[in-house]
Amino acid sequence: MKINRRVENVWHLIFIITILIMILPVIYAIGMSFKPLHDAYNNVLNIIPIHATLENYITLFDTLPIFRITWNTFIVATVATIFKLITAFLAAYAFVYFSFKGKEILYFLLIGTIFIPFTVTMIPNYLIISNLGMLDNVWGVILPQLADAVGIFLIRQSMKNIPLSLIEVARLDNMSHGRIMKDIVLPLVRPAITSVGIWFFISTWNEFVWPVLILKTTENFTLPLALQMFISSEGGTNFTVAMAVSVITMIIPLILYLSFQKYIIGTFTSSGIK
Amino acid sequence: MSSLTAAKGKLHINRENAFGYLLLIPSIIIFAVFTFWPFIYTIYLSFFEWNMISPTKEFVGLKNYTEVLSDPKTYRILGNTFLYIILLLIINCVIPYIFAFVIDLVLRKYKNFYKGALFLPAFISLVVGSILFTWILNPVSGPVAILFNWFGLEIPNWTKAEGWIIVVLSLITSWKVFGYNFILLYASINGISREIIEAARMDNVSLVRIFFQIILPMSSATGIYVFIITIVQSLQYVFTPVKVISQGGPDYASSNLIYHAYHEAFVVYRTGHSAAISIVTMALFLLLLFLEFRYVERGVYYEN
Amino acid sequence: MKEIKFENVRKVYGDTEVVKDLNFTVREGERLILLGPSGCGKSTILRMIAGLEEITSGNLYMNGQRVNDTPSGKRNVSMVFQNYALYPHMTVKQNIMYALKVKKIEKKEIERRFDFVLEMLQLRGYENRLPKQLSGGQRQRVALARATVNRSDFFLLDEPLSNLDAQLRVSARKELMKIHEMFGQTIVYVTHDQIEATTFADRIVLMYNGELQMIDTPDNVYHRPANVFTAKFIGSPPTNILNIEYDHGAVRIGSQSFLLNEIWKDYVNQTGTNKLLFGIRPEHIELSPVSAQKGVRGQVKYIENQGNNYGVYINVEGQEIIAMSESKNWTDGQDVYVCPVMEKIHFFDKDTERNIGYPQGLEMKDGITYSNERKVNV
Repeated sequence: MKINRRVENVWHLIFIITILIMILPVIYAIGMSFKPLHDAYNNVLNIIPIHATLENYITLFDTLPIFRITWNTFIVATVATIFKLITAFLAAYAFVYFSFKGKEILYFLLIGTIFIPFTVTMIPNYLIISNLGMLDNVWGVILPQLADAVGIFLIRQSMKNIPLSLIEVARLDNMSHGRIMKDIVLPLVRPAITSVGIWFFISTWNEFVWPVLILKTTENFTLPLALQMFISSEGGTNFTVAMAVSVITMIIPLILYLSFQKYIIGTFTSSGIK
Repeated sequence: MSSLTAAKGKLHINRENAFGYLLLIPSIIIFAVFTFWPFIYTIYLSFFEWNMISPTKEFVGLKNYTEVLSDPKTYRILGNTFLYIILLLIINCVIPYIFAFVIDLVLRKYKNFYKGALFLPAFISLVVGSILFTWILNPVSGPVAILFNWFGLEIPNWTKAEGWIIVVLSLITSWKVFGYNFILLYASINGISREIIEAARMDNVSLVRIFFQIILPMSSATGIYVFIITIVQSLQYVFTPVKVISQGGPDYASSNLIYHAYHEAFVVYRTGHSAAISIVTMALFLLLLFLEFRYVERGVYYEN
Repeated sequence: MKEIKFENVRKVYGDTEVVKDLNFTVREGERLILLGPSGCGKSTILRMIAGLEEITSGNLYMNGQRVNDTPSGKRNVSMVFQNYALYPHMTVKQNIMYALKVKKIEKKEIERRFDFVLEMLQLRGYENRLPKQLSGGQRQRVALARATVNRSDFFLLDEPLSNLDAQLRVSARKELMKIHEMFGQTIVYVTHDQIEATTFADRIVLMYNGELQMIDTPDNVYHRPANVFTAKFIGSPPTNILNIEYDHGAVRIGSQSFLLNEIWKDYVNQTGTNKLLFGIRPEHIELSPVSAQKGVRGQVKYIENQGNNYGVYINVEGQEIIAMSESKNWTDGQDVYVCPVMEKIHFFDKDTERNIGYPQGLEMKDGITYSNERKVNV
């Protein structure tokens, strides 16, 4: 059956409009962050600034400990990502290559946590972190995020695609599990680990809900929290500075996404749920 | 025979299963401490009156539940929650399904560009999205308002307008969630055997029928999954724009069960109420899941 | 003593018994083939030897020691998988050397073994390629090479040639033979292909439905099938099995009959049973267009071109008989006389479907005397 050209063109139009709606604001934000404030108010529709300036960024560096805040965000995202990957890799290995009592139930319980709303665990977790003296501390943000059910799920899917006979050959050669993990399984699931890792990193980088409960003072903030300060003062006077913070918040996720885009989409498309 | 053993998907390793448990210990500890125990403790808290600071908790039985359930605010918020769910399902489940189908099977060009661009906002902070769209949709000075003015149109003052605020907050959330759901659905549709679709096309079956009779049933396992995470997770994502833009207002018009539980616990310090609301939310989700499994799951096609 | 002994071994998955009460011994240094249709349990047996599959009950001995609970890595076995199981991220060289390096074998020795196997299996020049850059035949040789360098006592092969085309199979078989001559491992080899089995095996174990049907040399499996299943499974087209009435030297098919020779007549009479099935291979039937005393009349149904020969399908009193003929000058519906070669006939007990055996002194045209012992193991 031939697909009607006109139908196809209508769809192209729909996609282009949708993508404009989604992407244009991001480009807008970048443009705005280089506009002087009066320009931003008077030439609203100009995406590219007429009088480009760095003054918003300068103001930002003057008023906020932005290096410290970026560093906090980086630490939270990196530590959480590394731990999530390790715990997920080990758990996935256990679920794929071992048969033990209660395996199915355990898997179901862990994956089931995806469907628990965070408010159900929010108060007790806050109390735990508070009792550990980790309130207003990035480690309090990190601690409950050292394991991740989606990670277990995705890495397990990827491991299941390795032919079992590869592992069996290794077992026949008396390889230890440590060696099998390091020399065989890890290299073969590396693409999945990379994209899941990038996904974890970016989600934690962007995280808002949990840090907002834990972090109180500006020095300890992560970028999304810092950004929120500009909104609570009703946008207004600091609007272009807010855009500069937005740009700083977006830049690392965007670079990661644009450089690993094919990889990431590949992992999500090949190891998705069937 | 080898296919049988492979299908069982397990490696026979004599008496080393203890090692399997060992590998799971890190995950189990973290989930036990930060998910399972808190879950149980929240149930416990829902029977007490407490303000999170006082050293004593007062056992009140079901009082928190009766108070929450007799409060007209709760029903207003419950109504909002359903409105959010319906909007989010349409924008993040129905539309990405159609988009994924069209990109995979109708279009011949720019497929990868569309995929990449649609997925992009999923990598950007929702706080950024909230700020951006608040400005873009500013009813007086935002670019959209200016564009509309040229055509003599006005956009409603949505931050103050009941109903509109939920629509806008849902759209902002969707900006972030859409791409992820789209990619999952695309993966599933893309995984359907081309032979089946080619065969249908050769028989001159219309695209609409291909969608409903082949694509929808054969990707339904992913469809269900996306349906569930849209309800459970998007509703949590909505929290961010609600918190950043409206704080649930005006007068609870944009609040939902998730935000309300937060509000009760961390704004007005009524942990008992908050816990009760959370448990009710959880129960509601479970009910939705149950209904879904009961009535939809039957026709689901699982590849494995 | 590099032998493998199965003693009352069973394997059960849930409710299905995939291997039933297995008893046999793989002798030191022999090439034993596990043959049977898919799902017969042959791969499970191989995997039990490898320790990749648990044994539900019974005992498995290797080198005289009970190994039921010995992990795979301690059984001194090498295995070649149907899909070759090459590590996709390692080069040919890394694939072959990996296990040796982990086992901390001396570097010089590793190099020596590697060079040797590279030469023997003609893999020189491919050392640094990845599996995906190799042809199917090359991959198969890498898998063989990897299994060989271990110098294990036991060499297990699971359908190792089934992904190769016919020509490559012949050369791969030769290479296997070469390896076996060189190292004399005890080989257990799983296949569903009887040509592969008869060309390679010292002995064949024929499996069906989890039960051992027969264990013997390829010649005996062909000429002295232990039961109806063996007779039908080995050879193509399969052995004709006919419902007959036996009456003092006369074999009656429907309303017709032919006479046995004296040796057969005495032998069958002496077994004292007359509830029998009659077996004859298509290639052991002489066809004649004119009446023949030792035969029965039937009608040609159709003719199948087998390349070098013609398979003639004949209806004899409602039963179908296939006969091989060098001539294709048969027409559908034509009357034809079917004469079994007396030296090549078989009788099976109707109830047990087991071979009733063969008379002493049955002259074979090919001059070979086959064992008359019953090698059925059940």
